[in-house]
Amino acid sequence: SASRGRLEGGATAQQYEKMAALSSEFGDLVQIKKQLISVISLCKERGLVHSVKWASELAFALKPLPMSELPPPAPLTEEDVEDLDALGLAKSYFDLKEYDRAAYFLRGCRSKKAYFLYMYSRYLSGEKKKDDETVDSLGPLEKGQVRNEALRELRVELSKKHRTGELDGFTLYLYGVVLRKLDLLKEAVDVFVEATHALPLHWGAWLELCNLITNIEMLKSLSLPDCWIRDFFLAHMYTELQMIKEALQKYQSLIEAGFSKSTYIISQIAVAYHNIRDIDQALSLFNELREQDPYRIENMDTFSNLLYVRSMKPELSYLAHNLVEIDKYRVETCCVIGNYYSLRSQHEKAALYFQRALKLNPRCLGAWTLMGHEYMEMKNTSAAIQAYRHAIEVNKRDYRAWYGLGQTYEILKMHFYCLYYYRRAHQLRPNDSRMLVALGECYEKLSQLSEAKKCYWRAYSVGDVERMALLKLAKLHEQLNESDEAAHCYIIYIQDIFSCGELLEHVEVSTALRYLGQYYFKNKRYDEASLCAQRCCDYNDAREEGKALLRQISQVRDQGEASSADVSLPCVFGSLSNNNTPVRRVSPLDLSSVTP
Amino acid sequence: MASVHESLYFNPMMTNGVVHANVFGIKDWVTPYKISVLVLLDEMTISKRMTLLERRRLNKLILPLQQGPDLTLRHFLKTVEECSAETAFAVKLRLHMMVVGELKDMESFFDTLPNPFSDAESEASKTSVVGLFMRHMLLAYNKLSFSQVYKLYTALQRYYDDCLGSQPGPPTAPPVDADMELSEMELTSTEDGAEGKMDKEDDEAPRRCPLSQKQAEYFLARQAYLLKNDENKALKPAALQEELNNMLKFNPDFAEAHYLSYLNSMRVQDVFISTHSLLHYFDRLILTGGDGKSNGDEGYGRSLRYAALNLAALHCRFGHYQQAELALQEAIRIAQESNDHVCLQHCLSWLYTLEQMKGSDSSVLTEDSVKMAAHFGLPYLASLGIQSLVQQGATGGKAANMLMDALKDTDILHWKHSLSELIDISLAQTTSIWRMYGKSTMALQCAQVLLNMNSLEQVDFGVQQNNTEAFAVVLCHLAELHAEQGLFGASSEILKHLKERFPPHTQHAKLWMLCDLKIQFERAMNDGKYHLAEPHVAAIAALDQMEGLYRKGLVMKAQNQTTDAYRVLQRLQLLCEKTKCTEMIIRVMLTTAELHWESSGFSTALPLLLQALVLARQHHLQALASETILHLAFSQLMLGVPEQALNILHEAMEPILAHGALLDKGRALLLVAKCQMAVSGGREDRRTGLEQAVQTLDEAAAYFSRMGCKDRLRDTHYLQARLHHALGHTAQRNECALLFRMVDQELPPARYGLPDG
Repeated sequence: SASRGRLEGGATAQQYEKMAALSSEFGDLVQIKKQLISVISLCKERGLVHSVKWASELAFALKPLPMSELPPPAPLTEEDVEDLDALGLAKSYFDLKEYDRAAYFLRGCRSKKAYFLYMYSRYLSGEKKKDDETVDSLGPLEKGQVRNEALRELRVELSKKHRTGELDGFTLYLYGVVLRKLDLLKEAVDVFVEATHALPLHWGAWLELCNLITNIEMLKSLSLPDCWIRDFFLAHMYTELQMIKEALQKYQSLIEAGFSKSTYIISQIAVAYHNIRDIDQALSLFNELREQDPYRIENMDTFSNLLYVRSMKPELSYLAHNLVEIDKYRVETCCVIGNYYSLRSQHEKAALYFQRALKLNPRCLGAWTLMGHEYMEMKNTSAAIQAYRHAIEVNKRDYRAWYGLGQTYEILKMHFYCLYYYRRAHQLRPNDSRMLVALGECYEKLSQLSEAKKCYWRAYSVGDVERMALLKLAKLHEQLNESDEAAHCYIIYIQDIFSCGELLEHVEVSTALRYLGQYYFKNKRYDEASLCAQRCCDYNDAREEGKALLRQISQVRDQGEASSADVSLPCVFGSLSNNNTPVRRVSPLDLSSVTP
Repeated sequence: MASVHESLYFNPMMTNGVVHANVFGIKDWVTPYKISVLVLLDEMTISKRMTLLERRRLNKLILPLQQGPDLTLRHFLKTVEECSAETAFAVKLRLHMMVVGELKDMESFFDTLPNPFSDAESEASKTSVVGLFMRHMLLAYNKLSFSQVYKLYTALQRYYDDCLGSQPGPPTAPPVDADMELSEMELTSTEDGAEGKMDKEDDEAPRRCPLSQKQAEYFLARQAYLLKNDENKALKPAALQEELNNMLKFNPDFAEAHYLSYLNSMRVQDVFISTHSLLHYFDRLILTGGDGKSNGDEGYGRSLRYAALNLAALHCRFGHYQQAELALQEAIRIAQESNDHVCLQHCLSWLYTLEQMKGSDSSVLTEDSVKMAAHFGLPYLASLGIQSLVQQGATGGKAANMLMDALKDTDILHWKHSLSELIDISLAQTTSIWRMYGKSTMALQCAQVLLNMNSLEQVDFGVQQNNTEAFAVVLCHLAELHAEQGLFGASSEILKHLKERFPPHTQHAKLWMLCDLKIQFERAMNDGKYHLAEPHVAAIAALDQMEGLYRKGLVMKAQNQTTDAYRVLQRLQLLCEKTKCTEMIIRVMLTTAELHWESSGFSTALPLLLQALVLARQHHLQALASETILHLAFSQLMLGVPEQALNILHEAMEPILAHGALLDKGRALLLVAKCQMAVSGGREDRRTGLEQAVQTLDEAAAYFSRMGCKDRLRDTHYLQARLHHALGHTAQRNECALLFRMVDQELPPARYGLPDG
């Protein structure tokens, strides 16, 4: 029993260690929670609602603090007390969106808080007027010219204060926003970095910075404050820069650090998985997200895309109904409904909902592309072209829209014309087999067979999703009477199909087997030929031919003709595995083990 | 709620998924500048005290003011002031009253605006340009909502203050603090480079205010016209692109701007942007072209066909023949499917152009094209085809009368349909053909006809002359013709003019560059300064490969690098035979024959020369034929049959003296003199023969000295001296000997080869 006791003792020691580690971690979290709570109140006072939302979501994911631990409210200065009434009045006007009125009552205040609110209301007033005027402009050409008139004045005043170093974290943030709106991007980045140093906890500044960073080199060149929030920023940045692996790592470490309940992190991870087309992971995460936060609308359009790809009709329908009940005038809701109708093949309605999404937000990129797809389904090519063009205008790097344009022209049988669009799409996604297959098909139609072959082979090399490239390549070789190459391609194709477990297109497998049977027969490799012929018999459409081939083989064998042992024959099953072609899976002769 | 919601937000104006480019259906709208123009017009109708001259100047101003882009007020007033200072002042005053007053002043202005025009005897009737403009503006003004009217008024105030607020004259007090801020803005901008750039942009912004659709259309039409007819006067490529980008930023739906961008990037040979713009244009055009489902003659299907065709043209222009062919096949297929004969016709004419560019024979295609075009009543394409056929026929050696007849027939067609562009081309072509045949007088005449002709097209946008390719070609011929006659001053004048009219970066500049180089090369060769000629060879080769190779051979021959020269000529001949360039083949043969002479292979040169003669006669190339005869005669002379030589020389003398270049004339006469000497060698009337030869030589010497051809001048003087010596004319002999000595000293040490024909 002594030994047992010792053992138990050991166990408790371990537990202690664990607890100690956790408590230090937890101590960190307490600090973080305190910081979050104080920053929430700061942002709230200044009307920065989105940052409040983000911080609150994060704070909610952490354990509640005991009474004693709650951070005291920020101390008031003399100036704050002076401005207290004016600030209260102005804030109430501000909350009611009467920005000019708020600014008017704040004009004489000297405290930093009041100054920020003063400038911020002036900025928002300009933005609001700009939006209103967009509807009310004098003519269509003037539309692009509507500007926030307040920006220049704000910039002058803020830059003056900036030079004398009078700006605090919030005003720096506002200064950065003004600069960005004036398209002074370089200056804006500097100011935002400064803002993050002055007040690291303000998520808005980080988010703005995120929108301005275009590549990883730029990210590395910035000197950012060393704070836990930086990890959130980096993870977000990696997602934006399509460095999904790094992003996932970061998020994982954040979860391990104690933020496992954060809906924000879950949604970000789900989006990351969506971007690398890991559909199952993304779906399960989104489901989890919806359990935790059933009334969430953000990111639900991405979720619906996933459901659409998997053709999960009931789930999509449920999601759509649910969202409509929450808020039907949201871009995300409209996109979800659009996807829903599209899955039900009601393309007119789908297009209608995408249009509605665009009315809500004309710069919504995804909706333009999706609408293009709907018009394609409806065979309204001109409208589709238009929608895709709009998508490209919003974002030149939208490869889906370029691909869609290519498809549209392909439908119009303009194979040469669509090459340009496919090429653009391919440039943007060099490792996406779909563009390569499309290019190959076009070249094939234009009888540029050598180009077509290159495209197909490349499509296979980068990892063909639809598994069509090899088959097309094989058929091309067959057409050109290059039987060895054709056989080679068919072999790899069959290996691919069988090794991935699920059987997709029976017709094509049987075609391959049929061809291979004939090929081996011609080359007097009767063993392989009969194997292929037997496999053929498993398929309805090739059964007769398989049987015929088997008969032929036995006939020839009866005549005593020996199977050729010509080693020089290329790429037969056996020699494949030590060939340097990219062979990945099971031994090719092991066909019998696979039940088709 | 829903409807309120929808109307509040920007509505992309979609019907059936097609966004209409012009959302409000208004092509024009009221801007502060337009108000100024309206005030001016109003002032002009009211004021009776204007002098006739002033009124006329103002009247001339109206159209550009209406159509042009918005000007700043200062600029506008200055323009008006130049015509009539009084009116400018009146306009300024009225604007000032409107600005310092209240909104009602502007409103009352628009209320009273139509009054002067409603009179029956008014100068500006309802349907006149002014009347239409006025009514457009009134309509646009009346459509404005309350807030828009107010916005317009504040815009007017700002417009006025921006330009005149800082001036001491008008009593408006500029908003002080805003001004201060602005000046401080400048301060910051001097401190920070990047900020300064931004500020400058900001300052420029009011100048580059967005164009209304009308103004934009006018701008595009004008620039496109200028690009086609007189590239010099169009905006510089970079500036034009900037304007276009600006226009597209404000209205991405303005498809025509993309097309102009395509044309513009073609100018600078930018294949990337031009493809991009072209495709973008057609993507946009497809939207505006009628409803989506029609596939018929009009609208959508049509623009698809032309999209493919234009893409083919683009690849053709960049020399991507394979791509062009694929695109063309596509266009043809689509056009066939939809039975669009007109489009097919266009495709066909591009097809033969493509074949021609690839260097294969396309006359059958062209003939078909002409027939079909005539059948479908497309005169432009038909005569374009005929011109192309004539060109092919001319190089292929068709009978001259047939070609000329064809050209005459097309000319009738051109005049009937007022195809002035084709008239120009036809004249330029005739010039080239005459030149090729060696009829310099006729060529000269044709060139002059074109240059002196008044263009049929209206003189538009202030373009007085058409700076088209036809003019460049004709002027180049003119320069070369003058140089041939030794009129180097005149030819360099012409070249200078060409340089001005077609600056080096423009599309037709290569023509005169080649021409200039050729003339310089010839002069250097004639002067015997081969080292000067050599650098020209590389330059010529850059512009024209075959010509460059030929000149390289010439220089090598002149420098006695016989083997190298022979190799170059052989290579050139192979190249020529591939491209069927008869003129060059003959010239190569002649030069090769000259090389044979150098190694005294006169008899081996004969078959070559005879072959050349046959070719030249077949293709009616008179100048080359005559030159071949000279070569033949020289060979015969050297082979010891001067009588024969003299016989055939007579045949060639007449055309050479009538049409030939000065150099050819001199050479011919020198050869005649040599033959005369040789013939008279043994006979008793030797003296008369020699005297004849002396006369001939005198004439030849005159030609050579005019051309500055010292090498040959020296030979001539030498011969003259010898003849005079033989005849016993001591004084003349000494004179000629002195001349010989002088020329000989100027020249580099003589190469003791044979003086050629």
